[in-house]
Amino acid sequence: MPDLHRPGDRTAAQRAADHAGIAGLADALVPALVARLSTANLGEVEIREGDWHVRVRRPAGAGPRRERPHRAALPIVALPGAAAHATTAQPPRPAGDAAGDPPGARQEMAVSPAVGMFRPGVPVGTRVRAGDRIATVDLLGIPIDVVSPIDGVVAEVYPQPGDGVEYGEEVAAVESAPPPAAGAGEG
Amino acid sequence: MVSRILIANRGEIALRILRACRTLGIEAVLAYSEADRSSLPALLADEAICIGPADAKRSYLSAPAIISAALVTGCDAVHPGYGFLSEDDAFAEAVRAHGLTFIGPSPEVLERFASKEEVRRRLAAHGLPTIPGSGLLGDEAHALEEAARVGYPVLVKPSAGGGGKGMRLARSARELAAFLPICRSEARAAFGDDALYLERWLEDNRHVEVQVAVDRYGHGVHLWERDCSIQRRHQKILEESPSPAMTAAGRRELAERAVKAVVAAGYENVGTLEFLVDADGNAYFIEINCRIQVEHPVTEMLTGIDLVATQIRIAAGEPLGFTQADVVPNGHAIEFRINAEDPAHEFRPGAGTIERLNAPGGPGVRFDSHAYTGYDVPPYYDSLLGKLVVWGPDRETAIARGKAALSELVIEGVITNIAIHRALLESEPFLEGRFTTNLLDRVGAAAFLTAAERA
Repeated sequence: MPDLHRPGDRTAAQRAADHAGIAGLADALVPALVARLSTANLGEVEIREGDWHVRVRRPAGAGPRRERPHRAALPIVALPGAAAHATTAQPPRPAGDAAGDPPGARQEMAVSPAVGMFRPGVPVGTRVRAGDRIATVDLLGIPIDVVSPIDGVVAEVYPQPGDGVEYGEEVAAVESAPPPAAGAGEG
Repeated sequence: MVSRILIANRGEIALRILRACRTLGIEAVLAYSEADRSSLPALLADEAICIGPADAKRSYLSAPAIISAALVTGCDAVHPGYGFLSEDDAFAEAVRAHGLTFIGPSPEVLERFASKEEVRRRLAAHGLPTIPGSGLLGDEAHALEEAARVGYPVLVKPSAGGGGKGMRLARSARELAAFLPICRSEARAAFGDDALYLERWLEDNRHVEVQVAVDRYGHGVHLWERDCSIQRRHQKILEESPSPAMTAAGRRELAERAVKAVVAAGYENVGTLEFLVDADGNAYFIEINCRIQVEHPVTEMLTGIDLVATQIRIAAGEPLGFTQADVVPNGHAIEFRINAEDPAHEFRPGAGTIERLNAPGGPGVRFDSHAYTGYDVPPYYDSLLGKLVVWGPDRETAIARGKAALSELVIEGVITNIAIHRALLESEPFLEGRFTTNLLDRVGAAAFLTAAERA
């Protein structure tokens, strides 16, 4: 799962538990939430469970055309206690701009450079650098690279293997990640 | 069998093909560039798929992108429309190699008719008089040599396509040398092929073309002629049928010779043979267009035959289904090309948002357009916004209906050439049926506009 936050006051074991929790929530809830968002014509859907909540918001200006239900929205998964910051509509903030706040996670879309058949490349959770190949689009047998727009972690891949994708279609979300171990403060 | 067609074109012709698909019960998928996302055909098609950026070389002229789009959307045929790849035999071959039907002539037929220069020789052998011209031009020295042999003035023409792109009239060696690089670059941009040839230019000629339809089994008919003499810079702006400049016997003879020659030469599907007609009524073959043409509605109004549906059925392998005796021309039809361009300023093209659009109506009035109120006219492609076609039982009635329809047609927000059409319908050369292809450029659009204002 995406390596979203590394609050310095949590132990390695707690962080592992956090990630497992996020992964579980995302797997269980996000597809259903996105489906509901797409069919109910809502702007935003939120579900709470204990300390955790998941909010899914339709990106501003996203049209309904050629949008498949599972890619009509950008899922945002937040840590407990950090919800207000992580899910506001404000633009991403630079990491560590306020003591104790988790860095704002920035998401950018990798788009298809061609019309063709989608072939997945790296799995979700893979750390990539800007320009790295995330997947390919098969254009009459010629694989064309879909590359990451930023340094980060592949958060989601929208098409299924073999799906047709059009030119410019958003096929994967990449979540910016701070450099590994920076500001971890653990011994 | 064709059940789902990818429309690989834009604008009004994409919409026209979509309408033919609907009437034939065929699904239609529109392949569009990023600049055409909000166009009417993109909104109305059963499915629409973005194939590339605004730059036509990477979208409407990209054979891999178009074929890939057809495959991922489950199409079994590709309709190329006009312009772009519509007469490209290599594209037609690639379409077929991927198991898709190309809506047009077979690749072999397209290849046989690809070189305009070669086709003139081929059809001359089948009895069509042709105009003196050159072979394909090599370097500048070769071009000048050929021009001297053909005789000035010469028309520089791209071998790969029409529509006035890459065409220039050169009256001297100096002009020819100056135009060659311009024509080459325009031809390359429009057709992906910069081969040029020369044709002797006849002063005061008329442009008359014969529509034909030939099925795969060698059964061909003509659908009479269209007179396209009203042009500016070799681009047609108004077409009509019957030609007011030819006798009934002359028209019949030209049409019959044309269809006989193309059937003998092995042509297939719908096509148009273009002729220049001199002041004495002699017709010279200049080129064949192996595609549906912009002005095809003139013939549809006159004969009641749906040419795009005919084209699709022939490509699907069906027999023509009608004979020459079934093609009965009735009355008179006129088409006005409504372009986003300014007739008062050298027909400078415009772009922008259409603030208001009122389409005309009434008996015998047809308006084929992809434009709508709120539509953004992109600056990247040709300026055709739509075609107003009127029909009447005779030329006078057609002209009267044309005037009424043009006065109803309102397009605001983008400059258009509607004024020049109104002016043409008031001008003596048009009313008397003696317009020649050079008249508008020679006299100047401004003179027609001013005369119409005074009238």
